[in-house]
Amino acid sequence: MDVIGAPSDAEIVARVLGGDAEAFGFVIRRYEAGLLRFATRMLGSRDAAADAVAEGLVRAYRHLASCREPDRLRTWLYRIVTNRCKSHLARRSVGDVPLDEAPPVADPADGEAELERAEQLALVQRALTGLSPDKREAFVLKHVEGLSYEEMAAITGERIPTLKMRVHRAREALLKVLEDHT
Amino acid sequence: MRLWAVLALLGMPLTAQSVQSRLEGRIPSDAVPVVDSLVQVALHEGLPSEPLVQKALEGGAKQVPSPRIVAAVQASLGQLRDAHELLVRAGDQPPIRAGEVTTVAWALRRKVPPSTVAHVVTELPHPPRAAAIHAIADLVAHGFDPDSSAGLIIAAVHGGLQRDRLLDVSTAALHEVQRGRTRDEAIAVVRQQLPNVPGPPKPERGTITRAHRPDTPSPP
Amino acid sequence: MNTIDARIHQVLDGELPADALPAEQRDATDAIRAAADLLAAPVPVRSLESRVMAEIHRPAPSFARRVTAWLATPHAITFRVRPVWSLAFAAAAAVFTLFYARDVGPQLGEHEGIAQFVGRFPDARSVHVVGTFNDWRPGTIALQDLDHDGVWTATVVLPAGTYEYMFVVDGERWVPDHLADRLVADDFGRENSVVIVRPVHR
Repeated sequence: MDVIGAPSDAEIVARVLGGDAEAFGFVIRRYEAGLLRFATRMLGSRDAAADAVAEGLVRAYRHLASCREPDRLRTWLYRIVTNRCKSHLARRSVGDVPLDEAPPVADPADGEAELERAEQLALVQRALTGLSPDKREAFVLKHVEGLSYEEMAAITGERIPTLKMRVHRAREALLKVLEDHT
Repeated sequence: MRLWAVLALLGMPLTAQSVQSRLEGRIPSDAVPVVDSLVQVALHEGLPSEPLVQKALEGGAKQVPSPRIVAAVQASLGQLRDAHELLVRAGDQPPIRAGEVTTVAWALRRKVPPSTVAHVVTELPHPPRAAAIHAIADLVAHGFDPDSSAGLIIAAVHGGLQRDRLLDVSTAALHEVQRGRTRDEAIAVVRQQLPNVPGPPKPERGTITRAHRPDTPSPP
Repeated sequence: MNTIDARIHQVLDGELPADALPAEQRDATDAIRAAADLLAAPVPVRSLESRVMAEIHRPAPSFARRVTAWLATPHAITFRVRPVWSLAFAAAAAVFTLFYARDVGPQLGEHEGIAQFVGRFPDARSVHVVGTFNDWRPGTIALQDLDHDGVWTATVVLPAGTYEYMFVVDGERWVPDHLADRLVADDFGRENSVVIVRPVHR
C-alpha cells in the first residue's frame, strides 16, 4: 500500500545504511502487521509470533547491508521471518502446544455472528496447525498473504511445482477437516 | 543492437533511484544513464541486476573510460542471459533464482564448459547449487577434466555432503595433486573418501579477535 | 489422501475462471476462500516497534564482556574468606580479567565468515583491498603492516558468499592477490582475485 510522500523501501534502506537507525521504524510500521499475521498462522500463538517477528526484524536490521535488492525488501523480510518461524517450530517439542492456542474466547456480549466467527477461526487455525510446517507455510503464503508462486519461490527457495503441490495438499487436508465438522 | 536503439525501443524512464544513486559520482556521468538502462533491461528480463551495478562500479574505481565500462556491463548482461538460458534448457522452471543465474554466469566466466554446467544443473535439481558449481570451477581452473570434476562433486552431493562442504571435496582433490598424484588418481582417491573429506580449520581465536567489519575502524 | 478435482486447484490458482467449475464443485473453492478470509484477519498484537528499536540500540554484550564489566565496576560486597583462599581468589580473578579484558572481537552472525587478506608490498606506504564486498570503494578497508616487515594483512567479517577483489597499493597501483586460489578476468584487461567466504558457525 503506497502512501504519497512516504519513502520507498530502497530509500529507507539507503538511509539506514547511511547511519540513520531510526529510519528502520518505517520498515517496522510498514510490514509488522503482515509479518505478525503470517507468523501467528504459522506458529498458532500470538506471543510466539511476536517473538519470531521481533527477532526477524532485529536480524534484518543487523544484516541490512546484505539485502542486495532493496526494492524487494518485503520478500527479503518474509524470508527472514519464515526462517525464524521454522527455528521456533524446531525448538518446540512434539505435543508442546502454546498456551494461547486455545480458541479465543468470544465476549458473550458479542452478537451470535461474532461468536460463530470466532469458533470458525479456531477450527480453521487448528486445521492449519495440523498440517506439516511446509504445507502450512505454503498455504499461508498463498492464501493468507496473497503471494504469487513466483514470490513464494523467492521467499522459500523452493521450486514452483513443489510449492504448488504443497498448496494443493494443504487445501485438500483443510477441506477434509472442514467437511468433517459440518 | 546499438544502445541508442535499445533506449528508444524501451522508452524507459530513468527509474530505480537506488541504482542511480549508487552510480552517481562513482562512474563517469555520461555512462550513468546507459548503465541504468541496461540494469532496467536486466530487471525486465527477470535477470539479476547487482552483477551489472558491480561491474560498473568496478570500472569507475579502476578509472576506465565510459565506453569500456558500458561494454563491460553489456558483456555481463550477455553472460547473465546465457546463464539464464542454460538453466532453463537444463530444466529449471522460470522464474530462475537470481543466485543461480549469477553462479552459472560466474562458472562460465571461469571457463567451465556449458555442457558440464548443464549436466550439473540436471543432476542436482534443487537450488542452491553455488557451492557445487564453485567446487567444480576450482578443479577445472587447476586443470582437472570438467566431466570428472562434475562426477566427483555430484557423487559427493549424493553421498550427503551439502553446500560449502563441497568446497572441501575440491580442496581435497587439489591436495592429492600437491602430494604427487595425477589428477585422475586424485579424483579416485577422494571419491573413495566420501563423505569423510577433511573440513577447513576453524579460525583461530586471535583471528576472530582481529576481525572487523568493513564499515568499522580497524582495532588499534 | 483426499484428492479433489484438479479444476478446483486451477480456479484457486487463477488458471481457470470460476465459472469453469460445475456448481457442485464451487463449494470447495468457497470454503477455501472463506477459511483464508478468516485467517487473513489482522492479529490484535501490540506494535513491535518500540521492542525492536530498543534491541537495535542495545547490542547484547557477550558473557565475557558482562563479567569483565562487572569485575571492573566497584561492588560493595563483603565476604569472609580464609587468608589462603583470598590469595587464590585474587589470582583467579586477575587471570580471568587479563584473559577476557582483551577485546574478544565481533559477534559473528550465523551467515557471516572471515576473510583474511595478505600481501607482500615491502615499499608500500598504504595498501587497501577493494572489491564487490565494498562496492569497489577504495580506501574503506586498509591492510596493516604493524611490524614493518613488508607483509600487509587485514581480517574482515563478511556475509558468506563469493567476492572479487584487488589490492590497491599507495592509492594508485591495482594488483591482484597472488596468494588467492582463484582468479577471473575483469573485462578491463586485468584479473580479479576471488575469495569464497564460508560461514564460521555451521
